Amino acid sequence: MRIVNPMNESAVSATDATPRLGTLVGKTVALLDISKPGGSVFLDRIEQRLRAEHGVAQVIREMKPTFAKPAPAEVLQRIRGADAVIEALAD
Amino acid sequence: MAPYLNALAGSVTAISQDGEDATREFVRQMDIRFPVERDPGFEISKKFGVVTVPTLYVVDDQDRVVRAEPGFDKAALNEIAAMLGHGPVASPYDGAPASKPGCSSRHLEAHTEDASAEALDLHSKRGRTASVIEVDEDAVEYCYRVFGDALPVVPPTVERVEAMIGGLDPREVIARIPPCYGEATVEKLAANAVMAGCEPKMMRVLIPLMRAIADERFNAHGVQATTHFAAPLIVVNGPVRAELGFHSRQNAFSNVARANSTLGRALQLVLLNIGGARPTGIDMSALGNPGKFSYCIAENEEENPWEPLHVTEGLTKDQSAVTLFAAEAPHGVSEHKSRTARGVLKAIAYSLATVWSYRACLTFEAIVVLCPEHVRTIHRDGFSKKDVREFLFENTGVPLRCYEEPGEGVEQRTMYKEIFIDGERCYQKFRAPESIKIVVAGGTAGKFSAVLGSWSTGPRGSQMVTYPV
Repeated sequence: MRIVNPMNESAVSATDATPRLGTLVGKTVALLDISKPGGSVFLDRIEQRLRAEHGVAQVIREMKPTFAKPAPAEVLQRIRGADAVIEALAD
Repeated sequence: MAPYLNALAGSVTAISQDGEDATREFVRQMDIRFPVERDPGFEISKKFGVVTVPTLYVVDDQDRVVRAEPGFDKAALNEIAAMLGHGPVASPYDGAPASKPGCSSRHLEAHTEDASAEALDLHSKRGRTASVIEVDEDAVEYCYRVFGDALPVVPPTVERVEAMIGGLDPREVIARIPPCYGEATVEKLAANAVMAGCEPKMMRVLIPLMRAIADERFNAHGVQATTHFAAPLIVVNGPVRAELGFHSRQNAFSNVARANSTLGRALQLVLLNIGGARPTGIDMSALGNPGKFSYCIAENEEENPWEPLHVTEGLTKDQSAVTLFAAEAPHGVSEHKSRTARGVLKAIAYSLATVWSYRACLTFEAIVVLCPEHVRTIHRDGFSKKDVREFLFENTGVPLRCYEEPGEGVEQRTMYKEIFIDGERCYQKFRAPESIKIVVAGGTAGKFSAVLGSWSTGPRGSQMVTYPV
């Protein structure tokens, strides 16, 4: 029997993961809060430890307007220059 | 956007980030009547510092940008039209959303540096032809295993899909279905409609339904991925109910009519197979919702003495419409003793207070599905639909004494509004009367209405959308 494929067949462009950083010393790290309750508590502690224990030079704090939608282009643009991004996902 | 800009044709120049072929095809498909230039190396995009596409720039005589408007927004379009000396170009009730955020500009996307815009072709209105699969085993078993919703489906044979497509263009892209943004061509939709058991005439409803599900305001991206119970509930209104056999009377929510059951199931199969939200993967719902098999009702407009849902949402009574609401499962409200509008509505208000979580207020909405017997009691006491919404709004609250124990909804109390309900201090449950949507459905025997809670609502969650059919 010949059937029409009902699944998505549109092209997906693959992107390689960014290579891991060898060191955090002197780096810029962006912390993205998706705006779920408790996310800022977690990221406050991460920021403190990144600065005190890992020699991170700069921390960029950004927040999605809502956890219910993808990050808007403006938010992505503001964390674009960071060497690494840490995202706080859930409650 | 393009049809509105056609009305401003003498004053508009568009810059396309697509390749030459895709741009030419887009101009043809959208019947664009203003000049369109290409931006192959993204030099123009970089010069303007575009972050979002589309972005409208209003440029003065000295080539200075006097206004930049990212995304699509009817109000902004009309303001810009006024700046150019035109009347309004975007009507609020033409079926297109009031606003829609844009996408990232191509020159900011990491993978565009080594891939041409042409290859990505995200904006084309013509998709690819679906592949044909030769199935040697039992086709029902094969389709059930690979494409199904855990129930057997009708195999989408080449012949059945052709019959479903009828005279439509099989390669036309109707929508891109979240959360994976798969390309819903007419042919792919037809294949899923066949699997769901739809009759070919259902395509005239399925196509506007796809535009609704892809509307950014509805936010299917979130609805399909959340850990919450929400599932898209379809409410069908207007003459199409009788024309296609949608049932709105007894058993309105259940297994009563092919039209309701198959349209609801077709939407779910599209979300699974084209959108990619599989219940073992991206769809992370903790408990799910039986509506994820099929969740479609029609309004019983014949038993509704007020205006039906689609008219409240801005369409006319003689139009047909589909409405989507990210809903929990129906919660029944039995009220057989009250003989007054107040008594029936108080019973409903007690249930409304429990949606999401009893003590959580403000950020949720609800649909109240009124059964005909309750409607008659309420209407007899002279209540309009607006009165019903306002009564429910004023009488739905949570007593302050419930907030002594910590828990969900307690920390947010500073934002809540204190009101008195029957002499008791309460927090008001809903933000506005409009947060409570009223639909009439069901059989004429039985004083059973229902309350359906929402997912997160408003611009930061999912907003109800109504599309003309």
